[in-house]
Formats: sequence, C-alpha cells, structure tokens
Amino acid sequence: MTPMLELDGIESGYGETRVLGGVNATVDEGEVVALVGRNGVGKTTTLRTILGSVEPWAGTVTYRGEDITDLGDVETVQRGIGLVPEERRIFPGLTVTENLELASYGGSETENRRDLDWVFDTFENLDERRENRGSDLSGGEQQMLAIARALVSGADLLMLDEPTEGLAPMIVDRVMEVIEDVRDAGITVLLVEQNVRVALDLADRAYVLAHGEIVHEATPEELRADEETVERYLGVSFAD
Amino acid sequence: MVTGGTLLTQLLNGLSVGMVYVLLAAGLSIIFGVMDVINFAHGEFYALGAYLAVGIAAALSGVTGGFWIALVAAPLIVGVIGGLTERVTIRPLYGRNPLYHILLTFGLVLVIADGIEIIWGTQPKNFAPPALLSGPITIAGFQYSLYNYFVIAVGALIAAGTWLALTETRVGIIIRGGSQDRGMVRALGIDIDRYYTLVFAFGCVLAAFAGIVLGAKQEVALGMGNAIIIPAFVVVVLGGLGSFRGAVVGGLGIGIVQTLTQTYVPALTGVIVYLLMVGILLVKPQGLFGNPEWQNHGGEEGDLLTGGGGGILDTTTRRYLAAALVGVLALVPLGIGVTYSSYIPNSLVLNVLVWALFALSLDFVMGYAGLVSLGHVLFYGVGAYATVMMAMYVTPVFWVGLLAGVALALAVAWFVGYLSIRVSGVYFAMITLGFAQLAYNLVTKFDITGGSDGLYTGYDATYGLGIGEVGQVSLLGDIQLFYYVVLALVVGSYLVARQIMRAPFGSVLQAIRESEDRAEFLGYDTVEYKRRAFMVSGGLAGLAGGLATINSFGVGPSFLFWLKSGEVIVMTLLGGMGTLYGPMLGAGAFLGLKEILLTFGESTPGLLGEVLSQWQGILGLIFVVFVIYVPEGLVSLPETLQARFGAGGGGGGESATDATDAEVSD
Repeated sequence: MTPMLELDGIESGYGETRVLGGVNATVDEGEVVALVGRNGVGKTTTLRTILGSVEPWAGTVTYRGEDITDLGDVETVQRGIGLVPEERRIFPGLTVTENLELASYGGSETENRRDLDWVFDTFENLDERRENRGSDLSGGEQQMLAIARALVSGADLLMLDEPTEGLAPMIVDRVMEVIEDVRDAGITVLLVEQNVRVALDLADRAYVLAHGEIVHEATPEELRADEETVERYLGVSFAD
Repeated sequence: MVTGGTLLTQLLNGLSVGMVYVLLAAGLSIIFGVMDVINFAHGEFYALGAYLAVGIAAALSGVTGGFWIALVAAPLIVGVIGGLTERVTIRPLYGRNPLYHILLTFGLVLVIADGIEIIWGTQPKNFAPPALLSGPITIAGFQYSLYNYFVIAVGALIAAGTWLALTETRVGIIIRGGSQDRGMVRALGIDIDRYYTLVFAFGCVLAAFAGIVLGAKQEVALGMGNAIIIPAFVVVVLGGLGSFRGAVVGGLGIGIVQTLTQTYVPALTGVIVYLLMVGILLVKPQGLFGNPEWQNHGGEEGDLLTGGGGGILDTTTRRYLAAALVGVLALVPLGIGVTYSSYIPNSLVLNVLVWALFALSLDFVMGYAGLVSLGHVLFYGVGAYATVMMAMYVTPVFWVGLLAGVALALAVAWFVGYLSIRVSGVYFAMITLGFAQLAYNLVTKFDITGGSDGLYTGYDATYGLGIGEVGQVSLLGDIQLFYYVVLALVVGSYLVARQIMRAPFGSVLQAIRESEDRAEFLGYDTVEYKRRAFMVSGGLAGLAGGLATINSFGVGPSFLFWLKSGEVIVMTLLGGMGTLYGPMLGAGAFLGLKEILLTFGESTPGLLGEVLSQWQGILGLIFVVFVIYVPEGLVSLPETLQARFGAGGGGGGESATDATDAEVSD
C-alpha cells in the first residue's frame, strides 16, 4: 500500500539556517504517527514544511500519490491536510462559533469534514461557550477548539503540534481522549509532541528526530524498551 | 453660559464631524488589521472622492439629483482606483516590514495630491448640498442644520452596515480572522490574499464617501487630505489598530471632544486630541479596544532591509569617494559667479547638508535600532525653535543658540524615549507622531513661539558671531563662512555617528534590530540602549533644525509639520538605511531631484512644463518604483545592477553612484 503521506529527503530551514537535513518518513492511512525529539530539532519545521508555509530546500512531499512539495499552505490544506498549530492560535477576537464558521469556509470537502452541529454535540464545553470570544477560553478549551476547527475544515490528515503543551494533567488526559476519538473516526494523525509519554501512549509508530534527521523509527513498545535511544535523544527515562 | 440648546448643538456638531472620522478610521483600521498597511494615502482617497464628486455634479448640472448620483458614483470610482492601486503598488510589498508601506503610501500621497492639482487646479471648489438638504430644520423647538442631521444619519447607516457585513457575512468573518491572525486563516485553507484588494477598495470607498459629505459641508480644497489624515490616524490608534469598534468609539469621541474644546476651552484646540492620544497610549499601548494578542502569531513581519556595504565598491574606494565628495563640497562656493549664482551653494547645497544631517539622525535609530520614528520632525523643530528663541530672548551668539537647540532636543528625546520606547513597532511610530503633532499645535498657541507666524523678525546681533550674522559673514564675495560651518558640523556628526556605531554600543543596537529578544537574553538592557540611541538621534536632529533656522533666518510651525517626518523617512530609505552615509546621499538625491524638476518645469513651456513642475508627484512616483524594486536604497544600486547584469555591469554600478554624488554636489 502506498503511504498517505511520504517525506523523501526533505531539507529545509529559515534564511541561511538549515534546520532539516534530509527527513524521510511515511504516514499510512488510519495511523497515529508521533514525531518526537528534544527542543529545537526541527519537529515544528517538519510540519511547516509539509504544510507549505516553509518552502523545502530539497526533497519531495507526496500526499495521496500527488507531489505537493511546491504547494503553499492554502493549497495543501485544501487537499485535506489540517493543522492544529503550536500554541493553538485561536482567533482571539472571534467567538467560538465564528472560529468554527471561519474554518468551515476553508479546507476541503472530504468525507471527514465535520459540521458545527457535530462539534457542539461532541464537545460539550464548547457548546456552552458558543458566544464567548476565543481569548476568554481556558487553555484546554482553546485546544479543543483548535482540534475541532481543523476537523471542520475537513482534515483527513490531522497534524497536531504540541497539543498538550502547557495544559494541566487532567486536561492532558482529555486531549488524549479526543485524539483517540479522532483516530477512531478514521482520521489519520501526525503528532508532534514533547511529552514522550503522551506521544507513545497514542502512537502506532514513532519517529525520533535529532539535529534535523530521523535517527530512529520504532513502535512505542520498542522505544520504551530501548532505554539508550530514549535517554540519548529524548532525555527521559522509562526505568521507574 | 452653557445652555442646553448650545450644548446640544455642539454635541450634534461633534457627532457629524465624528461620523466623518468614523468612516475614515474604519477603512484605515481594517486595512491595517488585515494587511498591516499603514495607509498614509487614505487622506488622498478621501480628497479624490470629494473632487470627483464635484466633477460629476458639475457635469450633471441641470440634471436633478446630480448630488445624489455623485454621492454614489464617486466613491465607487475611487474604490476601483483604490483596488487598482493595491494590485499594482501594494501587492508586491506584502511580507515586507510595514515601514515600506509607509514609504510607499507616502509616495502615493504625493502622486494623488499632484494628480488632483493637475486636473482640478489650485482653486478651492464649492460643492453645495442639494436644496433638499440645505437650511436649518426645527424639531421639537430645537433648530439645527438639516445637512448635519443627514451626515450623522448616513454615517451611522454606513457604519452599521459595515459592522453587519463584518460580523454576519462570510467575507466579514474571514476579514476579521485575517486581521487577528493572517497565517492561521491561511492554515485553514483560505486564501486571505485574495481579499486584500477588496478590503483596500472598500476602505477607499468609505474614505471617498467621507470626503464628499464633509466637502459639501465645508469646501473641497487642496490639502484637505493632508489635514484629515493625522486626526484619522489618532482615531485609529486610540480605538485600537484593527478594531472596528475602536474606530467608531474613537471617531465619535474625538469628533465630540474636538468640537466641545473649540467652544468651551479654545486654548486647548488642536492640542487636546494629541494629548488624549499620547495619554491613552501610554496607559494602554494597544488602544481602547485593541487586543495585544492579535497578530502576535503573524510571525511574517518582514525584516528591515538595510543598505548593502557598497557592493562591488571596496572600503578603500568608498573612502576615496567620500573624501572626494567632501572635497567637491568644500570647493563648491568657489564656483559662485563663474558657473552659477550664489544660490547653489548658499541655499541649495546648504539645505542638502542640513537635511543630510537630519536623515543621518533618523538612520541612527531607524536603521540601527529598528525604531521607526514617525515624528522625528519633533526634534528637528524643537532644536530649531530653541536656537531661535535663545537668540531672540537670551543671547544672539550663534553657537550658544545651536547648543541650546541640541540640548533641548536631547531633553525632549529623553522624555519621549523614556515614555514610549517600551512600546514597540507601529505603536511607537504612532506615539512619536502624536508627540510631534502636539508640539506642532503647541507652538502656534503661544506668543513666545511666534504663534502661527513663527519667529522671523530677524536677530539683533550685536557682538561676536551673532545668529543673524553668521549666515552673512562672507569670506570672499558671496563665499560665506556659514557654509563651511555647516559642512564641518555635518561631516563631524557623520564621523561621530560612525565611531559610535563601530563601538560596542553600535553592535548592541544592531543586535537589537536583528532580534530584540536575543539581545535581551544576552543580558543587555535593550530598552536603555534604545533610549540612549534615541537621545543621540534627537540631538543630531536638533542640530539640523538649528542650522536650518540660521539658513532661513527664523523658524515657524512648518518646521514641525508631519510631512517633514515623512520626507526624512523617504530620504533615509531612498539612500539606504543602516549605513549612515546612505541616508545622507538620499537627502542629496531627494532635494537634487526636486531642484531639477522645478528648474525644468519653469523653463519648459506648455503641458510638459506644467507636469514637470508638479515635482512632488514625480518624486512620489520615483519612491513608489524605488520601494518596490530597490528597497535597500541607492547605496545598494551598484550591487543590484551587478546582480542583474552580471560582472559586466560593474561599470554601470559605479556611474550610478557617481550620479548620486553629483546630485549632492551640484
């Protein structure tokens, strides 16, 4: 089976600074793939390069058999790739409803496209806050809204950038449940996560990124068992 | 006595003026919010609307309803012109630092203003509202102008319609989202760029409409755009950039405050608005309804492009060129009576030198610390006033006057810097503009500063080198001492500025320009550094202002007019920011070009001469082309040409530099 998303030798960076030095990775339909690694190794840049908001210097990005390397962010999203960005980036001056409406004006007409009714049925806390401005929501609510927004825009492949960053442990659990629900609904997930435990709990497969390259690919079980890799590249320990 | 009737009249007057502000500010604010464009040309679209309406109404004289047709047709035409303007000139600049939009739209101001003058002439036009709307009307025993009621009602209607469109329609929500986080709108698969033309055109329609309704109340005259654009900016900044609610509340508020002040506290007329603006921004830098979170994620703000290091010209060559230039400048007065009159050195070149110093002072903060001061004329003007007042009231010794000018400019720069440097970017630009306008309005208020006439009474210089005298001490014939004093001071200032920039202080400033956060992480108190740089810059600008007064035998409010701030920014960018010498060459190019256009315009008969004497418009066009194609400025021209034409273009590059030098010197 051809993968849904394939990165082949992606090099990328900002200005003169090289961040990615040849990233190879694949994501299959229906999978949850985690991209883990320490701060500043290029996880977010990988997502941005896929999205097309950063232009790759070399390599190709293939999505569902189509070469999307040279597409900009708007066109990429219109093909069914959705982004839940770092720090969520809710429109602070728009209400919850307006945030979702705005998303419904864009994106792509995929089978996975959700409407506002679905969102309000699924996320009760958002239903209660329909008319509140984005800036008045809590971090957890903003994260839910960011995910809902990507689903409303019709993401088949959902890219999440640090979805649990800065959230209380209880909220982290809730976000994880939501991501599982998304996966169960048949949406493919590419997850960038600093919190390795969260990432490995959710993922079917994980790539370890270090200094702009994939240094390791494994299932969560294999990674948990591979203390050396985990300590060296992720700086955490599962020993306890 | 404040009676209920007059108070109500004043309130309604305020509302009708305020509605005009609302229409202008709404467009400005949305354009800024969505596109990050600070549109100085907005006032000219406003004027263009009024003039077009006059034209249409005149063409339809005799047709019933001519006014109404003009009221609808003129804004639509302006909208189309605005849309085309966005497509052709502003579109290539997206993603660059907003500073370039300022330069571009400043160029557009000159182009449109001169276009209006060429088409409609200099005479003010009368544009009377139809009989249906004229005369007073009495409602419940209260008599008031029907036309003002009309302005208030129509303004309210349009504002309400705009608000509905922004909140209830698909396009409106996309535009509001775009004004808060453009990048995220794109990441939802919406091509926000497609809406820019629409937004800009719509803003122009509102502006034109405002111009027509106010023009029919007052008169349609040249300069109406220049007169309204700064108050309109105040409204936008007060209300919060990008906030529609802010534009409405700010516009009505300013309209009412202005009118009430005029009636009840006339001493504060013209000042109150800027006092309010500075006060509110200091307490709430994002304005009343602005959201500090907005656009934090934009992350697309382009860098300021600094001029190249001279490209193919190596350091030694450039040093020789500079020395040669100074040598030529020193020899210029010797040509008096031989090849040209004394006008060339004693007026034109002197003026260039003074402006070169002023541009140098701006580059010191803008090019090196990234502080875009939109009100730099403040320090120039303060230095000028202090120099003249010292001479008139204390001692006429010229260097004491100059010192006083520099000292006061330093002090004012310290004060302004102390209050405003912690706010960044556009808000800093606006606060400095506010302070400058405050000073502009203040000097017209007091007798000691000569009111709106200024102080041109001549100096009573009795001993030493008095201020009035130093401009007239001749070394030989028409060759004047003052010329060499100015030349020495300008060259000296440049050398001092260069030395400062080579010292660690300068390196820290440049680090701040590149990334303030990183400079801060390295342990530098960036605010303190910026403040000090601002003071140095203010002092240099004050010196330029002081020297200018000696040349012009006095000072007047025009020394503080905001257009001068715009001109010095243009010179700085034209020459090449962040090089110190670039802006000085820019001053030469700007004034040299102006001179050439004026001379040719006067001596060329017919239409061509008329067009040429509209030097501002031609200069404006040149800026527009420049900012789009050569954003690094003249000093990067050799490099740019070389890149374009390959190694063989080297010669062309050098001659381009020579041409610039020639403009400075002849």
